[in-house]
Amino acid sequence: MADKKDFESIAMPHLDAVYRAAVALSRREEDARDLVQTVYVKALERFVSFAPGSNARAWLLQILRNAWIDELRHRKVAGPTVSIEESQPAVADPPHPPETVWSNAEDVLANFSDDEVRRALGELPDDQRLTLFLVDVEGLSQEEVAEITGVPAGTVKSRTSRARAALKERLMAWAKEMGLSGRVR
Amino acid sequence: MTHLADEQFEDIVQGWAPEPAHLAECPACRARLAEQRAIRARLQSSFAAVRAGEALAERIRRTAGPERPAAAPLGPARPSRIHHLSRRAWATFAAAAALVLVTVPAIFYLTAPNPAQAELVKIHAGNLAPHHEFFTDADPAKLADYLKTQLGFEPATPRLGQGMAIRGCCLDHFKGEHVGSYVVDTPRGPISIIVMPQAPEALGMRGKVEAGGKTYWTGAFAHNNMVAVRIGAYTYCAVGAVPHDLLTQILLDLGLTGKS
Repeated sequence: MADKKDFESIAMPHLDAVYRAAVALSRREEDARDLVQTVYVKALERFVSFAPGSNARAWLLQILRNAWIDELRHRKVAGPTVSIEESQPAVADPPHPPETVWSNAEDVLANFSDDEVRRALGELPDDQRLTLFLVDVEGLSQEEVAEITGVPAGTVKSRTSRARAALKERLMAWAKEMGLSGRVR
Repeated sequence: MTHLADEQFEDIVQGWAPEPAHLAECPACRARLAEQRAIRARLQSSFAAVRAGEALAERIRRTAGPERPAAAPLGPARPSRIHHLSRRAWATFAAAAALVLVTVPAIFYLTAPNPAQAELVKIHAGNLAPHHEFFTDADPAKLADYLKTQLGFEPATPRLGQGMAIRGCCLDHFKGEHVGSYVVDTPRGPISIIVMPQAPEALGMRGKVEAGGKTYWTGAFAHNNMVAVRIGAYTYCAVGAVPHDLLTQILLDLGLTGKS
């Protein structure tokens, strides 16, 4: 059982990670700050059940995900009983035929601002967005992401793949609009 | 030639598996792997500058600091409600909270409980009792309509959002008169907001905070804090085992949106 006097030393080092995830989910920094505050209040309330030595970052990010689901429910966007999985629109697995691969991906991607890349991520369905963020940006393991998002590890892998493909599609569409499509195999 | 499957690419991109020999023979898969790595790297770099910042860290420490007792005053932290509080309102609240920070501690300990405050806490405790007669609905408009029907006026209701939800309302008696009250679940616990015709001065609260052009009266009894403010013809008294500044903030919101 964790002692509440240890809360700050255990939870605060992960503030940036929680905040980044909140930005990825809420898409607005002002909203993200509120979301993070909620997470830390809930974390403190539950800190007595936190096992010392376990993964505090994953624990906080799991609280964040649940807090975000609560927020969606409050907004009534997703309906009163909908899960974060159910809230996402049906997105078919984008195909990856070789001819759609950017041969100069780094060059094309360098033309997008950080805000634009985050905005493209923000347009993905919630679970794809969070999963891709946790895997690619935070570098969490499949098992950690599975625990946070409440799905099997295999689902994490397929969801990450779909999410990155969907992100690419959005960026590719923007690149075409900007005349930056470059070379496509 | 069979190309790598999506999950194989994922394993390689994440470093969960070594690169297979197939990549050396397949330019298409090499290109696709390079693309996925580039997207991953660009996504990482897009968040590189995103930091919580010291202001948020301080806000978190004030809100979720483990050493702060429930009744102690907070700084400008607020419960998380994502959309509803404007920056202007936040500035107002920050000013109010600063005042609370300075004013409440001394007053809190000097304020002796009185029968009125005991009665307010009793109403709150009754609202939380499972057997209590309670109109349960999370829709503020329906609650307001119900209270309007029962009491003859439409009380202001709090702005709701993340961590804030209305639980229901009921009718009570305070000093022999009908009063309305409703329960709000906050991130720090449930509170009751009791709406009454009596003036705040009649509640025996000796703490006072000025904010948003109004006087907020503060008191405490039996491990519950309370804050009262006059809005129109009615006094709104927030009661609960949560900090004074949270109660003040909720009432400030009432002041911003109050219909009374």
